[in-house]
Amino acid sequence: MNKSATQSGRTKAGGITIIRYRGVVKRYGDFQALSGIDLDVHAGEVVCLIGPSGSGKSTLLRCTNGLESIEGGDIEFEGTALPRDERELRAVRTRMGMVFQSFELFPHLTALANVAEGPRTVLRKHAAEANRRASAMLAKVGLADKAPNYPSALSGGQQQRVAIARALAMEPDVMLFDEPTSALDPETIGEVLNVMKQLADEGMTMVVVTHEMTFARRVGDWIAVFDAGRIVEQGPPEQIFDAPTTERTRDFLSHLGWTG
Amino acid sequence: MTFDWSVVWQHRDALMAATGTTILLTFATMAIAVPCGIMVAALRLYAWKPVRALATSYVELFRNLPLILVVYWAFYVLPIMTGLGLSPLATGLAALVLNVTAYNAETFRAGINSIRRGQVEAAMALGMSRLQALRRVVLPQALRRILPVLASTWVSLFKDTSLVSVIAVTELAYVAMQIRAQTFRVLEMLTAMAAIYWLLGYPQAKLVDWMQRRFAVTE
Ligand SMILES: Nc1ncnc2c1ncn2[C@@H]1O[C@H](COP(=O)(O)OP(=O)(O)OP(=O)(O)O)[C@@H](O)[C@H]1O
Ligand SMILES: [Mg+2]
Repeated sequence: MNKSATQSGRTKAGGITIIRYRGVVKRYGDFQALSGIDLDVHAGEVVCLIGPSGSGKSTLLRCTNGLESIEGGDIEFEGTALPRDERELRAVRTRMGMVFQSFELFPHLTALANVAEGPRTVLRKHAAEANRRASAMLAKVGLADKAPNYPSALSGGQQQRVAIARALAMEPDVMLFDEPTSALDPETIGEVLNVMKQLADEGMTMVVVTHEMTFARRVGDWIAVFDAGRIVEQGPPEQIFDAPTTERTRDFLSHLGWTG
Repeated sequence: MTFDWSVVWQHRDALMAATGTTILLTFATMAIAVPCGIMVAALRLYAWKPVRALATSYVELFRNLPLILVVYWAFYVLPIMTGLGLSPLATGLAALVLNVTAYNAETFRAGINSIRRGQVEAAMALGMSRLQALRRVVLPQALRRILPVLASTWVSLFKDTSLVSVIAVTELAYVAMQIRAQTFRVLEMLTAMAAIYWLLGYPQAKLVDWMQRRFAVTE
């Protein structure tokens, strides 16, 4: 791989590599969802994955925390290949937060209990300590007053912020977002993006699958453009959005009506 | 034809005790058949393939056999199989548990399957094991959804306990029939028996109706 070509304009490339993908292949039966993905995520970076529907963005995220296994290549997290053993994989997952398009809050638990669940069940913290941490995380996403609410009594944007707090409560080294705003009403998208921007400003390492090009452009440090299971172009946002070097990237952006 | 209702009053102690046994049988059966049902459902969903097949066979067999057959079967076969001289009560309980566990297993399986895959994935993304995800996330939600079904099973069970009278378990049906045989007061005893089952069963049925409204799935 041509190092200079993939790293030029990468301001945070000096940090340690948190996730390293090399030649990652994922198959579903005969169908190849990922055909050799090479990508680095450095500490403190916001890496945005963009591209058309079905191009493999979610699949890569799900392989990253081992919700899906890979058939070829390597994924290294903090310098170690993802373990195959379930128990070791669980330990890795505690250091990666994941946020889903459909929130997936636990409907039988209050907002506070949702956020405290990970520390309590997985990290085996005492109830008081778990609740204290959960309150702090809810406050961080601006929902301290919603602690006793059940998810059904929260707006979509609020639910997604609780989901972010739930992931943060594990004190992860990296956050994985899979289209966190795609299921939201337009008026609540902003509040979720603001929380994500704030996280990025605090130096959280983030991998974000998104169709919000404005967010990718403003907050992203590095953009990877997916098409049919491959990364067709990656680079800093200025390159991708102002001077894309491949036809596929131009097609994709113009299809979205992106005009810069 | 003359009625002599005093026969019911004269045997009130025996009838009360028998009613107690009926209630005890219902509670004991459910207390065992709920955890066992969860276990069998979990085996059907997650176990090693041959074990899964075994669990499925068990459920399909016992759900489709008449309970009275299972009761007789337990009476004749269990002592040979276990080498134990089980009391009629224990034998009846075993038969009821075998039957109701099969029903509950099916109920729990459907309940667990009705919870979105994303819920388990969210739990696992936090670092939970499959078992933790089942216990902390899936079962609490599934349980709410199937509570009305479990309650209907309960009401059927309460009435079905009468079937163990065929192996001389001294529950309500058996004792009432005994008194009938001694006193020849057929209609009085049948009426008394019906009244007791109905008085106890009707509020339970009403409770189930209420639960079905109260826990109607809202998401
Ligand atoms: N469990 C699965 N079994 C079979 N095929 C799958 C499975 N999951 C994903 N795929 C296929 O893999 C391809 C990539 O899917 P993926 O969800 O990663 O796309 P995506 O880039 O996230 O798209 P979108 O923007 O629509 O979310 C798709 O063609 C999809 O149909
Ligand atoms: Mg996707």
